[in-house]
Amino acid sequence: MELSPENPLSAEPEIETSHPEEFVEELRYVADTLPSRINIDAASVEQGLAKLVLTLIEFIRRLLEKQAVRRMEGGDLSPEQIEELGLALMKLEVKLQELKTQFGLTDEDLNLDLGPIGRLI
Amino acid sequence: MKLYAYCLVEDVDALDAIPLGISGAAVRLLQVDEFAVLVSNFDSDTVAVTRENALDHAAVVRSVLDRTTPLPFRFGTLVTEQQLSIYISARRPALQSRFELVRGCVEMSVKVIRELSSDNSMTESQGEITSGTTFLEEKRREIRGGEQRAAEANDISTWLHEQVENLTRDEQVTVRPSDKLVVAAAHLVARDKIPQYKETMAAAREIRPELHFLFSGPWPPYSFANMELEFKSQFGVS
Repeated sequence: MELSPENPLSAEPEIETSHPEEFVEELRYVADTLPSRINIDAASVEQGLAKLVLTLIEFIRRLLEKQAVRRMEGGDLSPEQIEELGLALMKLEVKLQELKTQFGLTDEDLNLDLGPIGRLI
Repeated sequence: MKLYAYCLVEDVDALDAIPLGISGAAVRLLQVDEFAVLVSNFDSDTVAVTRENALDHAAVVRSVLDRTTPLPFRFGTLVTEQQLSIYISARRPALQSRFELVRGCVEMSVKVIRELSSDNSMTESQGEITSGTTFLEEKRREIRGGEQRAAEANDISTWLHEQVENLTRDEQVTVRPSDKLVVAAAHLVARDKIPQYKETMAAAREIRPELHFLFSGPWPPYSFANMELEFKSQFGVS
């Protein structure tokens, strides 16, 4: 499949790539993550709410991690404080993992596609 | 009776060889002010999101692309004739401006895949990290890796932009540093520049063999329509 510059006014679209399987796999993944239909029942509403709340917690958790790393690099924390902060963040990560498992959510579920801006996490 | 709206066109007063629309309905032209809208009758209140319906929608929009550049409506747009008329009359200047942008152009799409390095997970992930200091050091490594990937992704996007900036009237670019499909760009290209655009893209691919490209088009300018429609797409709800 090669680019063909002839017939510029043709409205027939062409698709050209040397790696079709790779793109099919990636685009299928994108399609799978798009919302298809809204399934309104009690269980899905509960999971949807959990997903939203856990996404926000995950977002804040990552911000806290970045802030902790910045403080560690800035040299304004003692070794004991670094250890304590690291342990606290580690426990938070473990706890969030437990909650994800409880609600049947994966890491990828805890993300929001913000369109042109990219993804939340 | 509702109408299913496919696209808005200018300078078209008759249709020929238009395929059947959603649910096999005949597509007709509805004149509103100086514009026209491709519509078909629709009996239900919702449009099922199916491959068949999506392809029907795309086929109707594409069928006028060799004559003019349409402004496509979002899939699933159901309106009454009155709503459509009010909408167009109220937004006439904005629609004229949007037509001015896309006139004589088509959308060309470029997607770029790059191989992600596998060092973005914790090195001790197989074993338990018990030290808070080690945990933070691993996080630092992760964050640095993420920043590097973001910088690389932005470099790819900038490079791509530079390749075609003289050939495009506008562009919409999505950069996703953490994804394999790192850049997705939609370029608005004048029809007479398509051969040059394709040649430039083919040459660009040779310059960056480490990247994998998917080129497609010409498409109707879906990424540039942005008509700020207030009609809700009536997708099926189960």
